[in-house]
Amino acid sequence: MTSVGLPHFLIVGAVLFALGMVTVVTRRNAVGILMGVELILNAANVNFIAFNHFVEGPARLTGQVFSIFVIVLAAAEAAVGLAIVLAIYQTFRTIDVEETDLLRE
Amino acid sequence: MAQVTQLGPADARQSTPRDPRRTLIEGLIRIAAMMVGLIVGVGALGARLIARQPIGFLTLLVLYLALTLFIWGLNGFAFRRLPLSGFALFLFSAAAFGVLFLLGYLLGGVAGPFVVDAANRLIPYVKLADAVFYLFAVMTCAGAAGCAFSRNIIYSAWSLLFALLGAAGLYVLLGADFPAVAQILIYIGGVLVLILFAIMLTKQIGGDPKLTNTHLGLPAGVALATVTIATLTYTAIMAPWKEAAQRSWEPTAGRLGIAFLTDYLLPFEIASVVLLAALVGAVVIARKEIKETTDTYEPPPDVMAGRGMR
Repeated sequence: MTSVGLPHFLIVGAVLFALGMVTVVTRRNAVGILMGVELILNAANVNFIAFNHFVEGPARLTGQVFSIFVIVLAAAEAAVGLAIVLAIYQTFRTIDVEETDLLRE
Repeated sequence: MAQVTQLGPADARQSTPRDPRRTLIEGLIRIAAMMVGLIVGVGALGARLIARQPIGFLTLLVLYLALTLFIWGLNGFAFRRLPLSGFALFLFSAAAFGVLFLLGYLLGGVAGPFVVDAANRLIPYVKLADAVFYLFAVMTCAGAAGCAFSRNIIYSAWSLLFALLGAAGLYVLLGADFPAVAQILIYIGGVLVLILFAIMLTKQIGGDPKLTNTHLGLPAGVALATVTIATLTYTAIMAPWKEAAQRSWEPTAGRLGIAFLTDYLLPFEIASVVLLAALVGAVVIARKEIKETTDTYEPPPDVMAGRGMR
């Protein structure tokens, strides 16, 4: 049995990315699409930290720094995105992304 | 024992029509009883097994009482219609205890040696870190799959919780303690709560959540996932990664702070501005909603009628 190495973590990241993409593509609920985006960002984070650990080595921390930036931007994206979803719901009474195609009432 | 003696009134209350608050309190008490019974029972049994001591009469008594407590708690939810009160409850739990005892005896006596033998053979080949990795990897992927394929969006959100928790565990395995804690605090404590709020604010309570979450094309989604996973996995396995000579699992929070304030100072400041802009933007978008609801507020008709009469 081979020990767990870089490819194992990359495969987990790939699965997370693919399932996040499926979520984004197949959902009609705007909140569901945002959840898919969160999954994709997490996939990127897993890859950043795995490369930091296995490729960059303990001398530098670039991967972890970037993962923190990703988390920060994901939080900002979630706050603004969900506020927009609520505003859309207030206006259209639905958050089905196939029916909300206007920027005005 | 204190909870067990209160069985009579609690069960007599069940048949009468109850107000919601009392139902909630009773449910919480029953949940607490279930947990206490489970913890006491499993704890007593586990302590005996780990210490490799024989299970005596006292342990059996404790197990029986714990099972009684557990069944009393479960009776509030699973088989609510069983009229288990007082003596009937103890009789029922004695029967259940007998069945469980026989099952445990059979498992321990017949299947136990095989399991122990297999575990002893397998353990030298499995490193603990690898086992923990597979645990977190399965948790992450299962959570992501639940998020992608669940029809109910509430289930999707709870699956996302497991995906995020598993990813945090993977970060810990990779020696990234600070990102792991940030993941739990920000993603699970902030983003997931926001998502749940958004789900519950954007549809009427009692409405069908499935209506807003229909699949557009499950076969297309599965095909997309398969192709993506296959391509990325092939790349991950086949690429000649230049791996570092040494690895460390030292805490990184201090060095991350130094890096943020020296090498990455400009991105750090820009991130703070982005966060401020996001906060202000979210507040502005949310303000409009409050103004609209206060403008169009109409008192319900019974309030109007009451005012008219006065």
